[in-house]
Formats: sequence, C-alpha cells, structure tokens
Amino acid sequence: MKIKILIIFIYPFILVAQSGMEIASMLDKKPAPDNLVNNIRMILTNSKGKSRINTMMSKSINKNKKQIIWFLEPKDDRGVSFLKIEHDDRDDAMRMWLPAFKKVRRISAKKKGDAFMGSDLSFEDLSSRELINNNYSRLEDGMLDNQSCYVLETIPKKVARSSYSKHISWIDKNTINLLKEHSYNKRGELKKEKDFHYDIISNYQILKRVFVKDVLDQHTTEVIFSEIKIDVELNENLFHEKNLKRIPRE
Amino acid sequence: MNRNKSQSPIREWFISQALNHSKRTIIISILLTLVIGSGLRFLVMDDDMMKMLPNDLDSKITWDAIQDEFGSTDIIFIAFGFEGQSIFSPKALADLWALSEELNASPSIKDVANISTGTRIDQIDGFMEIDDLQPSQNLSQKDINKIIKYLNKNPNQKNQLVSRNGEYFLTIVQPYDEIGLDQFRNAVVTIGDATLEGYEIHYGGTAYITGSIPKLIREDIQTLVKVGMLIMVAILLLNLRNLSAVGMVMMVIISSLIAMMGFMGWAYRLTGSDKFLFAILNTSMPIILLTIANSDGVHVITKFFREMRKEKDVRNAVASSMESLLTPIFLTSLTTIAAFLTMTSSPLEPLVGYGVSISVGIAWAWLMSSLMLPSVISLKKWDKQSKAIIDASPFEKLISRIATIVIKYPKYVFGIGVLLVFIGFSGLYKITVDVNLASFFKPGTEIRDSMDFMDDEMSGTLDLRVRVEGDVKDPELLQKIESLQGFIKEKDNVVVTYSIADIVKQMHRTVMNDNINYEFIPEEREKVNNLFTMYSMSGDPGDFSSLVDYDYSSALITALSTVISTEDVFSFVEETKKYIDDHFNTYGKVDVTGVIVVLRDMVVLVIQSSILSILISLVLIGVIAGLFFNRLLWGLLAVVPLTGAVVLNFGFMGHFSITLNHITAILSSIIIGVGVDFAIHFISQFRNLSNYTAPEKLSYDVIQDVGYPIILDAGSNMGFGALLFSAFIPVQYIGGLMVFAMLSTSLGTLILLASLTELLKYHLVENEN
Repeated sequence: MKIKILIIFIYPFILVAQSGMEIASMLDKKPAPDNLVNNIRMILTNSKGKSRINTMMSKSINKNKKQIIWFLEPKDDRGVSFLKIEHDDRDDAMRMWLPAFKKVRRISAKKKGDAFMGSDLSFEDLSSRELINNNYSRLEDGMLDNQSCYVLETIPKKVARSSYSKHISWIDKNTINLLKEHSYNKRGELKKEKDFHYDIISNYQILKRVFVKDVLDQHTTEVIFSEIKIDVELNENLFHEKNLKRIPRE
Repeated sequence: MNRNKSQSPIREWFISQALNHSKRTIIISILLTLVIGSGLRFLVMDDDMMKMLPNDLDSKITWDAIQDEFGSTDIIFIAFGFEGQSIFSPKALADLWALSEELNASPSIKDVANISTGTRIDQIDGFMEIDDLQPSQNLSQKDINKIIKYLNKNPNQKNQLVSRNGEYFLTIVQPYDEIGLDQFRNAVVTIGDATLEGYEIHYGGTAYITGSIPKLIREDIQTLVKVGMLIMVAILLLNLRNLSAVGMVMMVIISSLIAMMGFMGWAYRLTGSDKFLFAILNTSMPIILLTIANSDGVHVITKFFREMRKEKDVRNAVASSMESLLTPIFLTSLTTIAAFLTMTSSPLEPLVGYGVSISVGIAWAWLMSSLMLPSVISLKKWDKQSKAIIDASPFEKLISRIATIVIKYPKYVFGIGVLLVFIGFSGLYKITVDVNLASFFKPGTEIRDSMDFMDDEMSGTLDLRVRVEGDVKDPELLQKIESLQGFIKEKDNVVVTYSIADIVKQMHRTVMNDNINYEFIPEEREKVNNLFTMYSMSGDPGDFSSLVDYDYSSALITALSTVISTEDVFSFVEETKKYIDDHFNTYGKVDVTGVIVVLRDMVVLVIQSSILSILISLVLIGVIAGLFFNRLLWGLLAVVPLTGAVVLNFGFMGHFSITLNHITAILSSIIIGVGVDFAIHFISQFRNLSNYTAPEKLSYDVIQDVGYPIILDAGSNMGFGALLFSAFIPVQYIGGLMVFAMLSTSLGTLILLASLTELLKYHLVENEN
C-alpha cells in the first residue's frame, strides 16, 4: 500500500522532469535572432595581471552561420578581418585578410582546441555543440545567483573530436540561459570556468558579457558585447572575401 | 682534600658547577643540546648557485626578472637513444609520446617540450598554419620522414630537439615555480627510467644537477663524519691511551655537531633565509667543527692527566686544569668565532650562514668543554696508576726535541720559517679561480658524465640570457636582436642561440609561400604584427612565452654553450656587453645574465670574499689578542704564525694548480680560526710562566707545556683528512690543504712564534713584569 501511495505522488514529477538530452535540446532550440550586429571588446589578462585589449565589429546572419569580423583596435591590428562560414556537411570555411601583406588567407578549422586570437576561447568554445555528438546527463538541480538551475553534464563523443573530457553547465530554468559552465580537459582536470550574462533585447535573451578563466594557466578573457542591433537587414553578399578588405562605416 | 678557590668569580662558578653540581650540569647540557638539535628536522639541502648570489647583484636581479617574465629556466634535459643508431624510428617516437604523457601527468611538472609536444609552422593554401610536429603516438615511416624533413628545414629547432648526430631525442622539462628542485629531479628521473627502459638515458641541465646534489651532500656527510670520527678516535687513542678519555672528547664533539646542525635548521625555519641552506660548501662544516671541538676537549683531558701526575686527586686536578684552561679555551673560542664570523662580510649568501652556524657550534664546544666535560671527568673513577696518567705520550717526547732546537738555534729556525713563507708567497700569483660546477666532479661520476654528454651531444650546459626591453614588433629592434645572436654564435663554444627574431623569420618565410628568400625580418612593423596575428589564429598563446613577454615589450635571447674556461668567461661576457653598448644604445634597457655571467660574478665575489675574510680576521684576531693580553705586541705576534700559514697555503694552491672557488674560499677562515688557538695557548702560557720562570728557560718550558697539546691537537685534527674522501673535488682539496694547514699553523707557532718570542724574550718578559 505504501509503495502505491509513493508511486502516485512521484508519478507527475517523473512525467515533467526533463532528461539531460531534453535540456540540451531546449538550450539548442532557444529563440535567437537571425541577424546580429555588435561591437566586441575582448580583454585578455595573464597570470601576472598584464592585459591586451582588442575591439572588433561583428556582423552575422543565419543565426551566426555566417559571420564577418573587422579588428578596430589595437592600432596594430586595425584592418585585419575574419570571415567564417559554417557548413553542416563539411569543415567550416574561415578566411583572414592581412592588410600588411595584402593577402586573404584560409584558416584551417581542423584544430578545434586552438585558441581564438590568443584568448581563452577556442574555436570549439565559439561553435555550437551538435546534439548527436555528445552524451547528456542531468545532475541534481542547483541554485546560482538566486536562480534555480538545471545542472547538465555533457560528455563529448569521440566523433566530436573535442579537446574536453566533459562540461558541467548551469542553465536557468526560467530563461533557459546558460549561466555558467565548467569544462574539463582530457586529463579530467578543471580547465575553464565560464560565466555568461544576458540582456533582453527585442524579447531575445542576448549575450552581453562572457568571462572565461583558464584555471590551469591562470589566464582570463572577458568579452563584452555592445551596440547590439538585432535582425537588422544584412545582405548575404556582405559575407564574401572582398568585403574583408574594408572596414564598414557602421 | 680541599681545593684552593679561584681568584676569578667567573672561573670559580664554572669550576663549582663542574665539581659540586656535576650531574645537574650534565643533564642540563644534554637537554639544551637536544632542544637546539631538534632543529635538525628543518635543515634543507640545496645547492642552487643563484641562491648563493647577493640579491642586489645585477645578474641576479635580471635572472629573477627573466624567471618572472619568461618562466623558470631551471630545466632538466632527458636524452634517450642508442649511440651509433638513428633515433628516428616508430618505436622511439611512440616512447617519446608516452614519456610526454607521463611527465605531463606529474604534479611537479609544468611544461614538457620535445618533438611529441612541439609545433610546426607550415604554409597551407597561403596561410600560416600551426600544427603538431608529431600528430599521433604511432607513426608510419612516411609521417616520420615528414618530421625529419621539417627539422632539417629548421636547424635551430632541430638543435633543441635532437642530438647532433641524430642518435638521441631530447626532452626539456620545466617545473612549477614552487616545486623544490630535488623533488622535481626525482619525479623526472623516476618517470624517465620507468618509461624509457632499455634505452641509453641521459639527464642533464642545471635543475638536474642542483636537484641531484642534496642526495650527494647527505651521502657525503655520512661518509665524511664516519671517516673523520674514525681518524680522530684512532689518533686520540694512540696518544691518550684511555678509552674513557677518548669517549669524553667525542661527547663534546658530538654535542657541538648536533647543536650546530640543529641551529642551522632552526635558523632556516625562523628566517627562511637562503643563507642557511645546506650547500656543497657546507659539507666541510661537520669535519671542521669536529676538529675544533676536539681541540677544546684534548686540551682539557691532557691538562687533567698532567695535573693528576702532580695532584693525585681528581677534584683538585680538575680544578687546577680548569683554572689554567678556562681563560685560554674561552679566548681561543672567541678568536675562532671571530675568524668565522668574518665570513658574514662575504657577498656570497651561504658563506654567511656557514660563518654564523659554525660559530654557534664552536660556542657550544666551548660550553661543553668548560662545563660538561669537567663534570664528567670529576664523576669518573680514574686509575691513578694508568699509563695514560703516568707515562709521557709519543708526542710529548717529540716536543722536547723541538724545544731544544728552538732554544739552541732561534735565528736559524726563524730564518727557515721566513724562507718557507717566501716560497709560499711566490705561489700566490699563480692562483687561478674556477667556479665551474663541472670541475667539482671527477670524470666518471654521474653528474660529470651528464655534463660531458650535454656538451658532446646536445646544446651544452651553460647559458647566456639577454633581456631586451623595447617594442618587440619593431623590425629594427628585431634586426638588432638577430645581429646580436649572430655575434654570440661566432663564439667557439656556443652551440645554439634562439629568440623571437628566429620565429618572425620563420613565419615570414612560411607566409611567403615557404620561399627561403623570405627568411628575414620584414621591414614594416605592420607585417610583423600581421604575422603574430596570423599565428594567434591557430597557435597556442603560450607558445612564445619563453621568448617574448605578454605585451611584446621585452624579449629574451638565449645562447647555449659548452663548458668555457673561467678566463674565456670573462672575455665572452665583456665582449658581449661591449657589443650591446655599441649597438643597442638607442633602445631601452638591455641586461645580460645566465650561468655564464653568474660564473663571472662568482669569480669576482670569491676573490673579494677571500681577501676580505683574510684581512678582517687577521685584524680582528690581532685586536682581540692585543686587548685580552693588554699589549698590542701580543696581538701582532698572535697573527704571525697565522699569516705565515695563510700565505703558505695559498702559495701551495698556486704551485699545485689547486683552483680557488666558492668552496675553497672558506679556507682562510678555517686556517685562521683553527690555527689561532695554538698561538693563543702559546702566548697565554708564555705570560703565565714568565711570572716565575727565568727568561733563559722560559721558551723551553712554554714549548714543553703547550707544545704537546698543540701537536696532539694538530695530530688529531688530521681528521680533516676525512675530507679527502668527499665526492666533491673542492672539498677534497680542502681536506688536503687543511692537513697541510694544521702542520703549518702548529709548526708556525712552535717555530715562527716560539723563535720570535725566544729572540724577543727579554723585551717581552720585561714588559710583562
């Protein structure tokens, strides 16, 4: 009798409780603007407190499938630009314009673990995770900054060719925003701690600030997004090599 | 039998403690020794040359700045392979991969650099791409050929990863800053030996040598103390002919040893100062204290036996022995301490700790000889008919002969002494200084073999580091760096140089379709910057951290060289500095450091230290003796045999090509510190006897009275000979030289000082009375 009562009480919870895969899927399907224009300020700080600051202008379409970035600061890097076009069936295409050499060069995307511009964000960190390439487990829920969170463990499958062994992510139950993530290297050591902050713009939860700390190297990267414009009209032709050579006025 | 009380209240207190509270005195002495000795557990053995240098030395400041900016340069090299066979095989590369994995898993190890962890810069579709030099653990011959081709194209990189004949793979291992070098060394060797079983393995590098030395020091001390004790016991037994008496002297010696080592441990624990680290040069400390403590004990025991012959009563014999010896033992301890404390004026850090710690040991020996030893003697039931008490020993008979000769021919004896000193003097200008660690170890020893291997097969064991401040992306500065590297590379012993300029050249060539004609520094700053930006798209941000700082405001040039003679070190450093002054005057600060510069600085510091130590200790001892005996002339006479002994010893070093270094630099302090005892005992007894002995018989009686303990003391100090069994060549030299020094100081007293006092006896007696 007691067992029966217990089953009756927990049955509704079993029905509504999401699995790890479901949470990952919710995160993946979260509404996002198609087109995005913003300025990016990236502050890199090493273990001795020395910093490098880069400012860039970014434009993207198709939910970031095509992105073009122009470097504005420091003065040395002004004019360098970067074009990324993601493909579902093959490796992403990446091009870089080097004004001093007056050449456009292709960047290989085969080393996903490589750092982007000397930051703590690798190309893998910047790309979205393919759901089928990972195993997801839901861990015990937790609280983060007074927000009730799903805690999700992601273990990349071999096919993902990941540089990580696992990720633990804290996802806000209300907004389905990823608030925090711990990423572990292949040796199982905590490698990176990532914090995410959002703003609501036109009903979208838009990333405003990312802070990444490489725990092992004691190096940090802070990325601040500003002058964010959503779903502005962007011509598909913009995402072409020839447009890398000139910084747009706006 | 009632004894006569001492006229001095302090002496009376000491005698009373020994005779009336013997057991209490012994128990307190043992307890105090145990308390101070408990510091032994805090003793740290470390022979890092950098820690020996004063903190305000330019090369040390630059060294520390480089460690801070570019990471630790304390590295260990592992080389494995087989002589006469190419190392490029699938198995060797798979084992190299496994070695890197194991090393990277160690908590002591920060970074591992070899082919398996290295990167290659290639040009693919016009873009500079950074990839792994060894893509996976198991490679096909085709993959291996690709690696060989790449390394042949980049000889600078090849020189750092493969031996000259391609027979050994090289791995460079860097520790975390906070890890002790011995712990780091043990971790690397354990992993290396386990992973590379079956290969010929060689370890090298400053961290390996420095990390190996603590174990060698521990083993060395154990051997030296055992041999030293054995020699000392044998000589004492032969002369004292009484086992209990020898045991009592050994008790003083052991207590002092425990106190000195314990104090050093406490001092390091409480101050954290590198001055109190136990380095190679400290290995001579136990033996030196052993002989000094022995000297105090021998004087008390022999005097007691002589008094027993007269008094026939233990308490009275102890009282009269102590009445006559308390002052000279105190004075000899004081002057010996003064001599050793002059080491605190040395600019070399461990010499300061050496001087302070051994002074504590000497003070303890004085305390034990003045309180515990007479207490133990007074408790023992002595056989008044024993040979030890009744019969004169072999040394006593020898003394009578010396006394007769000195009295009969004082001028000749003095003349011979002076002639010997002049012979010594002629050797002084032949002294050479060599502080190179390679010369501390015999060929065939593990460390020397490792250094020779590094010199013969790899890039050498010495380094020169040039830190250049300025805009590192400025092509003009990069070209200056390149030309400085070219200048340094022209030196005979330099095997390889590398800097960020090499990387810029390599990147430029790569991005210009891998055309060798573009292997130069681009002329535009923008191009240099674009190269770095391109690299950052696929390279690791830490790849250049050992070459350039985070904000490209300072760069590091490294040159590796095989062993260079001390003379060449001076010209190498001076020429490099001149080149920098001539070519970098419009740029920011340029500093030079590295083991090569440190060796030059050490040479200067060793010479400074030796001269300072000799001058200060001679003046100090002259002043102390002059003040204590109330007469400047006695102060001057006290330093005569010491000066002669120091000149003879250093002259001996010059004649026999024994080099001066930071280990043999302590010789002067030891010679003066130990030798002064003989002069003090002689002068003290001369003044004593001058009160009731005719001047004609005075010198003879003084030699008869103090000659025996002096010769016995010098004889038992042949324990210094134990240092000949050291694993470290300079410590062996100290052993040989100290045996010679004991002869020169004791005979200096009994020949030079005795003949001088004989020649000046009327003048000296007149003034004393």
